[in-house]
Amino acid sequence: MSTDTEVQPSNYHHQKPPFYRDATVVKWLFQVGALALVVFALWFLSSQARDNLSARNISTGFDFLSIDPGINLSEGIDTRPATGGRALWVGMVNTIRLATAGIFFATVIGLFIGLARLSNNWVVNKLGSVFVETLRNIPLLVQILLYGAILANLGDLQFDSGWDNWVIWSNKGLSVPRVFIADGFYQWAVFMCIGALAARWMYNQRSGLHDKTGENTHPGLGSFAVLTIFGIVGWFIHPIFGWVGNIFGAISDGISKVPEEVLQLVLSAVAISIAANWIRGFLASRRTPGGSARLTDDDKFRIIFAGVGSVLAILVVFVVWPGLSSWIINSSSDLFEVLENKFGDGRTGGPFGVDRPEVVKPGKFEKYGPSGLTMSLGFAAVFFGIVLYTAAFIAEIVRGGILAVPKGQIEAANSLGMKRSTALRTVILPQALRVIMPPLGNQYLNLTKNTSLAIAVGFSDLVQVGQTVGNQTGKNLSVFAIWMLFYLACSLTISVAVNFFNVRLRIVER
Amino acid sequence: MSETTIVETGKRPEVASSSPGEWIRKNLFSNIPNTILTIVFGVFALYAIRGLLGFILSGERRWEAVATNMRLLMAQGYPANQFVRVWVALGCLMVLTGLSLAIWNAKGQLPIKKISNWTMNIGFGLMLFAVLAPISPSSRLGWVIAGVLFLTFGFGLWMSTKNNQNRTLDSIPTVWFSFGFLGTLVLSLWIVPFGHYAFTNGELVAETGRTVAMSTKLPFTVMWVLLVCSYCVIIRVRDYLPTGQAKALLVGLWFLSPFVLNWIVLRDPDFDYGHVISTDVPVAALFIFAGGGILYLLTKPSLGELGRLTAIALLIFGVFNWVAAFFGWYPMLQKVRISFVLLALAALIAPNFAADRRTRLKFVTGWGVLIVISHWLITAVNSPSTLELQGPTYLGGFSLTLFVAVLTLLLSFPLGVLLALGRTSSMPIARVLCTGYIESIRGVPLITILFFFSNILPLFLPQGMEIAELAAIVTGYTLFSAAYLAENVRGGLQSVMRGQYEAADAIGLTTSQRTGFIVLPQALRVSIPPLVGQAIGVFKETSLVAIIGAYDILRIANNVVPAQTEFLGVKREGLLLVSVIYFIVAFSMSKYSQRLEERVGLGER
Repeated sequence: MSTDTEVQPSNYHHQKPPFYRDATVVKWLFQVGALALVVFALWFLSSQARDNLSARNISTGFDFLSIDPGINLSEGIDTRPATGGRALWVGMVNTIRLATAGIFFATVIGLFIGLARLSNNWVVNKLGSVFVETLRNIPLLVQILLYGAILANLGDLQFDSGWDNWVIWSNKGLSVPRVFIADGFYQWAVFMCIGALAARWMYNQRSGLHDKTGENTHPGLGSFAVLTIFGIVGWFIHPIFGWVGNIFGAISDGISKVPEEVLQLVLSAVAISIAANWIRGFLASRRTPGGSARLTDDDKFRIIFAGVGSVLAILVVFVVWPGLSSWIINSSSDLFEVLENKFGDGRTGGPFGVDRPEVVKPGKFEKYGPSGLTMSLGFAAVFFGIVLYTAAFIAEIVRGGILAVPKGQIEAANSLGMKRSTALRTVILPQALRVIMPPLGNQYLNLTKNTSLAIAVGFSDLVQVGQTVGNQTGKNLSVFAIWMLFYLACSLTISVAVNFFNVRLRIVER
Repeated sequence: MSETTIVETGKRPEVASSSPGEWIRKNLFSNIPNTILTIVFGVFALYAIRGLLGFILSGERRWEAVATNMRLLMAQGYPANQFVRVWVALGCLMVLTGLSLAIWNAKGQLPIKKISNWTMNIGFGLMLFAVLAPISPSSRLGWVIAGVLFLTFGFGLWMSTKNNQNRTLDSIPTVWFSFGFLGTLVLSLWIVPFGHYAFTNGELVAETGRTVAMSTKLPFTVMWVLLVCSYCVIIRVRDYLPTGQAKALLVGLWFLSPFVLNWIVLRDPDFDYGHVISTDVPVAALFIFAGGGILYLLTKPSLGELGRLTAIALLIFGVFNWVAAFFGWYPMLQKVRISFVLLALAALIAPNFAADRRTRLKFVTGWGVLIVISHWLITAVNSPSTLELQGPTYLGGFSLTLFVAVLTLLLSFPLGVLLALGRTSSMPIARVLCTGYIESIRGVPLITILFFFSNILPLFLPQGMEIAELAAIVTGYTLFSAAYLAENVRGGLQSVMRGQYEAADAIGLTTSQRTGFIVLPQALRVSIPPLVGQAIGVFKETSLVAIIGAYDILRIANNVVPAQTEFLGVKREGLLLVSVIYFIVAFSMSKYSQRLEERVGLGER
């Protein structure tokens, strides 16, 4: 290999490699091969599935959504759903209910345990450590089953089981007081919106004064006081906002008059402008100092992808799903109509009400009355499981986030003469939150996915209902598709929310 | 990584130890809020411990349900007449552990001071137990005496380290301490009769002499002796052994052990020796010699492009065999198809071994070993088992949990690395495919994937092809865990400096060489701690197979034991035991990963 190249280096430079060693050719050959393999595999599997399904006389499709599945659910907004779709919807509502409550309580408990693990007090510190190390090293499913078994062995429901009818527990579940939205809530909400505007104005006013004079004018406290005053006053005089319903009624009528074609055109215009905007921004970001954009294969691919995406969106609007725009019009019109009905005459009660749980005896056995907020055994087992398990992880995240704040920041705050609480609020927590937020979002995702373990204790979440419906109708494949879509949508929602906060919390650089 | 990183070089500066009074004042009663916190949470802690002890020791608990069903929980329906195979498998693992400890020369030292602290803590714990547990006064006294004994012993140890300034012994090797600890546990089997329970005429009686400890004390003693002996023998001759090769051999054995122990030792395949001699051995020999010859030629340094073309031709042929199998064009042994693909892959990496004769022969020998092992295992899996089974599988209970977890981890590792490489590569289609796969798998819960593979997968298979329940579970779990593993590896890949790629390009490495020798070693080193974390997660989530009907330890504790007529509805005891077992394994793994993190030096930079 040879002296030639050493004598004439320029020749070597111009030698083209054989085509099968050319990086570009190999790369694309490999990719096309991989794509072909994937497509072949999918085609093969789906053709097999078609043959197998027809051999077993099972039809695919989603028609089961409108057929009576003939099942009873253990709990939910509808325990005897009339259609398969309704059954799955009940399951989704149960899942969302469980996940929302779980996220709230896991965050609160996790925050406290995380702070406890940073405490100087030996007892508090050790208790926090034991909580975290025990709960995160035992599988969630084992915990759920264990809590379920313990709850199932509580005493029978009697009229005096529990703490004086504020909290009642028995082997039929747990019942706690229910706080509900009463008649006057929507008028009161309008009051509070105005109150929020006033509070914001107050905040600006006070902090403006602070900037000018340097005095501590307590802007946060002032605006909170304004909001409180509005809340209290509104509690009594909120019926004066009964007329707001008419505005919503007018909006509802207006929307229902919009022709379908106009909305279709607007939607296409939005799709095109989003794609165009994105491409323009992308080109701008790839601009070299010379002025022209330098694009790699990959960049071109992305641009094409964005264009194809907008075309696909337009196709969906006009061809694939022409009913979409009329659906949007109808449902938003309906939404405003519902809002209109929420205001109206005779709604003079307070915004909230509280009902204590009760025990009734309609037949031979006692059961919980409808007034309290009752957790069934299954719900309670899964709820305690996911809350405690996730709280252990969140505690570690909180602790890590606070420890990640550089020591110099705390020392600087001390040397400025800040109080410990002020330093915590204005220096440490904002920086810790930046570290805490992304893994916290991950834990929320995990918690939502972990609600699917409810099937082990027979709580009717989406997976349990789907499994029942699938076995009943033989449409396991379609149910699986619905599961995937639902959980992907949940994941997407949570990541969008978390990302929103991440962007807000990011360090502002020049 | 040489041993130098393992040895603890510097000791931490000793903190001036304060007197107990000072310590209590500083950590518990430094100011008024602190005092209130201490009192409130101290009372809460005592109350919680008392409640827990009351729950465990209450007369309603039927721990004999767990003691009687211990074999069921550990190895479900493994035939009793062949149960010695389970012990052989465990013994192999013990020997491997002993050998590894000796070869890697674990040098950890445990300070006497720490041991004295532990002993005193145990003493305090026993006293606390004696005070809080709902037990009879006489046994309370016994526990108090035991606590006092431990306390005095620990205190004596502590004083001995303090007074003796020119001490010769201030720490003992961790290995010997662990051996001593395990030895004490085994010894306790001979002294304490764990579980006096057996069934006579369907009635549970406390038989004297026939205990759970009875049936296991001898095997467990043998296990302990195997562990200690293998360690002692090797540590004596360690200096005369070629350490590097011994380490490579041991890593190989560890890697093989799950497969060999499961499919050869536990399953006991009934080889049809006529078929083995007439077909299997000749086929294997053909691949070893003909394949080895081809590989030897391909590693010739002056071969150039011809080698790559041959490898690609082999790969196309290997893949074509599978396509032909799908359409049924010509018959071929599955083993042969797999071997052709292996040969093609070996041919693809052959140019990396193009050097002197020694290296080439080494490569060819490696090929021979690979063929021997893979053919042996494939033949074993395809032979019927000699076990007389009642259930669908010979694995069950804790052994099933372990098997599913280990197999999933081993299989998902290469897949996850490939996915991570695909996601970070500059090839758009590959990246979109990998990203789409990873994100959609990560978006759904594991249980739905497991349902898919146990219920729906049979619909996708060609007619007449079936997949065993366990195989379907492991497949689904592997595909799931690979997506998570890929994200961990991706984090490592992103931490590799751009300069490393450029340096590799500059010295003329090919893409695969750059990835295999430069990028991946650095990326994997960074992602070791998250990978251990993921291993813990995989182990814990193995419990989900109970939902889809596999008889793992959780399902037996939750469904099988409470259904026995003797122990109807006894569920909490079994579940508590399962929690404790999972906790011990997961907790020790997480402690290990923390130590590993310190050693790798992450978070220090």
